[in-house]
Amino acid sequence: MLRFMLSRLARAALTIGMVVTFAFVVLRLSGDPAQIILGAEAPPEAVAAFRAAWGLDEPVWLQYFHYFGAILSGDLGRSMRDGRDAIVLVAERIPTTLALTLPALAIKLCLGVPAGMLAALHRNSFLDRAVMALAVAGFTVPSFVLGLLLVLVFAVQLGWLPSGGQGTWQHAVLPVITLGVGGAAVLARFTRSAMLEVLGQPYIRTASAKGVPWGAVVRGHALPNAAIPTVTIIGFMVGSLIAGAVVVESVFSWPGVGRLLVVAVANRDLAVVQCVLLLVAATMVTSNLVVDLLYGVLDPRLRSR
Amino acid sequence: MSGVVLARRRLPVLVVLALGWVGLMLAVAALADVIMPFGITQLDLRNRLSPPIGFGGDWLHPLGTDELGRDVLSRLIASIRMSLFVAFGATFIGAALGTSLGFLAAQFRGVVEQVVLALVDFSASLPFLILALSVLAFLGNSMWLFIGLLGLHAWERYARIARGLAIAAAGQGYAAAVRQLGASAWRVQLRHVLPNIASTLIVSMTLAFPEIILLESGLSFLGLGVQPPATSLGSMVGYGREYLTTAPWVLLAPACSIILTTFAVSILGDWLRDRLDPTLR
Repeated sequence: MLRFMLSRLARAALTIGMVVTFAFVVLRLSGDPAQIILGAEAPPEAVAAFRAAWGLDEPVWLQYFHYFGAILSGDLGRSMRDGRDAIVLVAERIPTTLALTLPALAIKLCLGVPAGMLAALHRNSFLDRAVMALAVAGFTVPSFVLGLLLVLVFAVQLGWLPSGGQGTWQHAVLPVITLGVGGAAVLARFTRSAMLEVLGQPYIRTASAKGVPWGAVVRGHALPNAAIPTVTIIGFMVGSLIAGAVVVESVFSWPGVGRLLVVAVANRDLAVVQCVLLLVAATMVTSNLVVDLLYGVLDPRLRSR
Repeated sequence: MSGVVLARRRLPVLVVLALGWVGLMLAVAALADVIMPFGITQLDLRNRLSPPIGFGGDWLHPLGTDELGRDVLSRLIASIRMSLFVAFGATFIGAALGTSLGFLAAQFRGVVEQVVLALVDFSASLPFLILALSVLAFLGNSMWLFIGLLGLHAWERYARIARGLAIAAAGQGYAAAVRQLGASAWRVQLRHVLPNIASTLIVSMTLAFPEIILLESGLSFLGLGVQPPATSLGSMVGYGREYLTTAPWVLLAPACSIILTTFAVSILGDWLRDRLDPTLR
């Protein structure tokens, strides 16, 4: 078990390292930062001074080394737009985004998992077909279309809810529904196939054949085994709590991390983009790590490896 | 496919409808220049915001016009061509890249395989939208970069599948037999292993295709994908959003096209997977 955990930890660290490397490489590919920041008409002396001040005249490997060190010490640069620390700018937006993504996650879990399980247990029934039809529809309707349709009906036609912005709890209703419905569809589809695969296993037949009541077979044999793949996708959803609302935040003008990222990309505010990228990678990797450790709890076979 | 064959194979109705829709979209994309009634930037200032047929519009602009008097039908046709072009391009890039890396890993094992697997882990651990947005921020946007970027979507799935299947195939008789006959490693991989795993790869492509359409339209909706004057289904929705209350048809026409196309391809993908993928039988 200890070895399992250590190898997972090493892998998580490696992935974070790769994301940092990726950011460094793409940042260097994007052109000479001195030229970008000072402009094309800057005098050569100013460019040279800038390059010396920021260490851009050092060999690339040394720059990479320094870059890695700066990120490890939490220095993620300043926003080119308002000069504040990028990390502060991003951190301010996190609670705003979580106000949407946490309730949406609750909807996904409460709708998606039971719907998928019921569909699998009543395979080929009307219920199964209805759940799957809804799940496919939920997957194929893009979130921005669903969001705009909800605005058209509930904000424009009926006038029940505001169409965008942030303030009261009513503002959060439409974005949360938009996020939750799409995710619930994905989760239902996934849970169903995980459950179906488990129900086809020989140990399920053995358990029913030896006379275990069906309810107990499902609870004792099917659910724990189907939980393993389902936990993976839930882990992915938890990992994207911070960045999973990019499009929806834009539809509803919700001032969260996603909106910040889109504006930063449009303005090429690289420090902010890089900060969001690293933050998202860190959450995702942490969440995957927790999932991996949960496997150890859920699946005794993995513990002995 | 003729009607007789359709009847003999008993295709589900939904699959036939999906095939029909995809065929229609491909025909529209192929014949775009012929069937577009107007140019996509051509203005008709007398008929600004004219509604579609059935809502008070006339046959001059069957799907209505936007606030500059541009014909929605013509823009829709051009957008379908653009979105399909991007999605096909990106799907093939992803499949080619992923499969090649998967074969490389299976062929050389050792360090190469570890590097490929680490890259797979890396891609799988980052939401693709965030990755795409960062690259667009750092490198700016151009049509080819955009297609290439979307081509990175799902490459790791092909790589995983190709690696796994190629390793399994290497242990089977036919691969050993052609190798004994003196075939080079690449000949074995490309001429013998690839056709054997092609059906699984095609299923993955059909499942990735709608995801790429959704990604493209999402990014274009945010104004960060296909750039004007070119138009795609997503950028049309993003543009039509400004006229949600006054002219919802500007937005609804491309939105319906996105939904129906992704739905049709998903249906085809699920159906193909059930029929072709031996690992699921």
